[in-house]
Amino acid sequence: MINISDFTFYYGGAAGPALRGVNLEIEDGEFVLVTGPSGGGKSSLCRCLNGLIPHFYGGRLTGRVDVQGLNVVEHSTKELATRVGMVFQDPENQLVAMDVEREIAFGLENLGFPRDVISKRMEESLDTLGISGLRHRPVRELSGGEKQKVAIASVLALHPAVLVLDEPTSELDPKGAEEVVSVVERLNDELGITVVLVEHRLDRVVHLVDRVIVLDKGMVSADGHPRDVLDRREVAEAGVGVPPVIRLVQRLRDRGLSIDSTPLTVKEGRSMLDGVFRDGRRSAPSRGERPKGKPVIEMDHLWHVYPQDTTALKDVSLTICEGEFAAVMGRNASGKTTLVKHVNGLLKPTKGRLRVAGIDPQRATIAELARRVGFVFQNPNDHLFADTVEEEIAFTARNLGYRGREVALRVDEMLERFDLKDCRRQYPRFLSGGEKQRVALASVLVVHPQVLILDEPTRGMEQRLKSELMAFLNEYRESGNTVILVSHDVETVVEHADRVILLSEGRIVVDGDKRSVLSRALLFSPQINRLVQGFDKYGVPGDILSVDEALMLLE
Amino acid sequence: MIEYKDKGTVIHKLNPFCKLAWAGSVLALALIVDHPLFLLLLFLSTLSVVMAAKVWQEWASFIRVALYLCVAIVVVNALVSYHGSHVLVQAPFRIPVMGTPTITLEAMFYGAAMCLRLLAIISAFAILTFTVHPDDMMLSMIKMRLPYKSVLVTSLSTRFVPTLIDDVGRITDAQRSRGLELDEGRLLGRIRGRMSIIIPLLSNSLDRAIQVAEAMESRAFGNGARRTFYKEIRVSAVDGIGLLLALLPFALAIWMRLAGYGGYHYYPTSEGVNLGGLEWAMVVVLILLVSAVVPLAFVKRRVDLD
Repeated sequence: MINISDFTFYYGGAAGPALRGVNLEIEDGEFVLVTGPSGGGKSSLCRCLNGLIPHFYGGRLTGRVDVQGLNVVEHSTKELATRVGMVFQDPENQLVAMDVEREIAFGLENLGFPRDVISKRMEESLDTLGISGLRHRPVRELSGGEKQKVAIASVLALHPAVLVLDEPTSELDPKGAEEVVSVVERLNDELGITVVLVEHRLDRVVHLVDRVIVLDKGMVSADGHPRDVLDRREVAEAGVGVPPVIRLVQRLRDRGLSIDSTPLTVKEGRSMLDGVFRDGRRSAPSRGERPKGKPVIEMDHLWHVYPQDTTALKDVSLTICEGEFAAVMGRNASGKTTLVKHVNGLLKPTKGRLRVAGIDPQRATIAELARRVGFVFQNPNDHLFADTVEEEIAFTARNLGYRGREVALRVDEMLERFDLKDCRRQYPRFLSGGEKQRVALASVLVVHPQVLILDEPTRGMEQRLKSELMAFLNEYRESGNTVILVSHDVETVVEHADRVILLSEGRIVVDGDKRSVLSRALLFSPQINRLVQGFDKYGVPGDILSVDEALMLLE
Repeated sequence: MIEYKDKGTVIHKLNPFCKLAWAGSVLALALIVDHPLFLLLLFLSTLSVVMAAKVWQEWASFIRVALYLCVAIVVVNALVSYHGSHVLVQAPFRIPVMGTPTITLEAMFYGAAMCLRLLAIISAFAILTFTVHPDDMMLSMIKMRLPYKSVLVTSLSTRFVPTLIDDVGRITDAQRSRGLELDEGRLLGRIRGRMSIIIPLLSNSLDRAIQVAEAMESRAFGNGARRTFYKEIRVSAVDGIGLLLALLPFALAIWMRLAGYGGYHYYPTSEGVNLGGLEWAMVVVLILLVSAVVPLAFVKRRVDLD
């Protein structure tokens, strides 16, 4: 059992508390989902469960935390290791050995277990996670999902009663995330391990958990059964990404329909909304076709072969026009990033022709292209290096030949547009996640490129920041520019993109309007589309993708 | 990416202590025996091990770097050592203290011999790097009573080398997309350009280090209890013989040098490279002993299979 009473914690040197008067009781065997906006205290809560707070992260605290009868202030993280297993966000940063077996043995070795016990526990863990096939593989060669399973196996070997997972899926692709979540669910269900899981993507887990806790500003702002918690409006307002089916039900209730319960899965949604779709008056949603602009990117039978002889792109032909918002989707290693890196010249085609904004990237330097094509990478930390936000933005402008007043003017414009005026003289790397993302974006948009490419910008991002980012992108595209989004995030793509390019093994499998690509697709369909597919029999069009469209249809 | 890969050859399967002892012997031999012919044979004898371990490509990547060093050694030695008697070029001026710059045949020959010495050593250590699993290397170090924490730090840094290389790639791409041109412009601009890669790299690594520490702490690292090791390097009787066999040339070479053989005078006039009958015999014995690691590895596998 976990018992947190009146717990308040300030990190060393911090002005405000990270956790503020938290009271929680978690029973043995519970599956608890912790969510909330970033900076809300989720990670801090995890850290105090195995004593990383206060033993690893010093600070001031009041109140107490007891885990399995041990007070975490009096017992060190090492003592707690056999009671609380901790799995972190980035699989890369928690694996210390070169191969899987040694990784799993690491904790047991630290605790001084004899060799025969280690062998036995290793077999158990490998089998429980279903990864015995990986046992001799070097950790480096594993996929993200596999690495995360190894991390879980390595803490499971210590036989903890509680498993704490701090955003274990946010660095993974959908398939890896799915696998990790189902493994965790099984551990809870079959072995009775108490699970505390931090997660942003609620649609994946909400039907599996017993309880949802929302942390906002260091306080528990909601706590209860998922049906009750997610139904509350203030939860969505706090920045929690409420799954689309629930949002649809809420909006229908606003119209005066009576739907008593809250659906947690698509299946539940279908049975609750059956009547609504059967009897409701329907009107065909209007679909304003955007007029297409001039072509800005033209690829003609493009091939790319990496030096290690892997063919990443096979015969790709593609035209993207001004004002388009295109999403590039596909499995990991399907060639998405390789494809977009050709657009700003980071990669040159092995074969085939390419024109971007009227120039030939094969002849131009990346710097020449950078005036026309902006590229924002997933992690803003890879962009930021300057001493102040201003300098960070000015760096790109100066690199691309702007001088003197022109630079200052453009920097001011960006600070204004991205609401960064107050932190213009701050050190960019110390800003919050959302602000960092905005600085990175500003530092690319300062030269007004016609094309903007973003590589998985929403990975691991909370809902509120996603909406903020998408609002900027829409505004940018409205003025005739082109946005290309590489993403796994179907729900975001559905809301904002209008064209989807689906890649598999370096080839374009489908390319077209998002409606034709994403509806009735098995893995890639958004939640609302999976919902309406069940209402085919009532003549509901099968290409409804988003909550707004479903609402429009039902008038 | 050049790194350790288990190719399953007899050399990979050989006990890591034997390989360590063997590489140590090669190092010692290269340092205590001066004769150029012997250094050449020593280098050539390491090739048989490279062949048996099938690590030509990886080995070549090390040797390529060593060859650059070799060129530097020959050039620098020729330019600063004026002791030889066969003058090839002489400068028309004098430098105070150093004398008249002179390039002599002996200085070049000496430089070349030093290169052989370097190549033999690097070759042995390349073999070690590419045939011993990094974790086994760590275990061997601990068995040799090196403190666990220092050994772990070394092994962690090898673990994160590939991650770091990925980081550099990503950050460089990000900055080049912002118009950074690495090899253009004035020196100051170039340094600033590099900083835009180095600063994110260092800061990211620092964040990573804290996260790794956190994860290790959560798995009871530094528990205070006596640490056990799941994997163990067993030293069988055959391995023991192998170990002795690997150290034997070292002992022999010391005796040989003390008895006055194996030396060589490069300056002022290099001697002939021919060896006397007895010296020849000794050199052949040494080289055979160094090469014996290959048949030994095959014998060990036979024994292991039986």
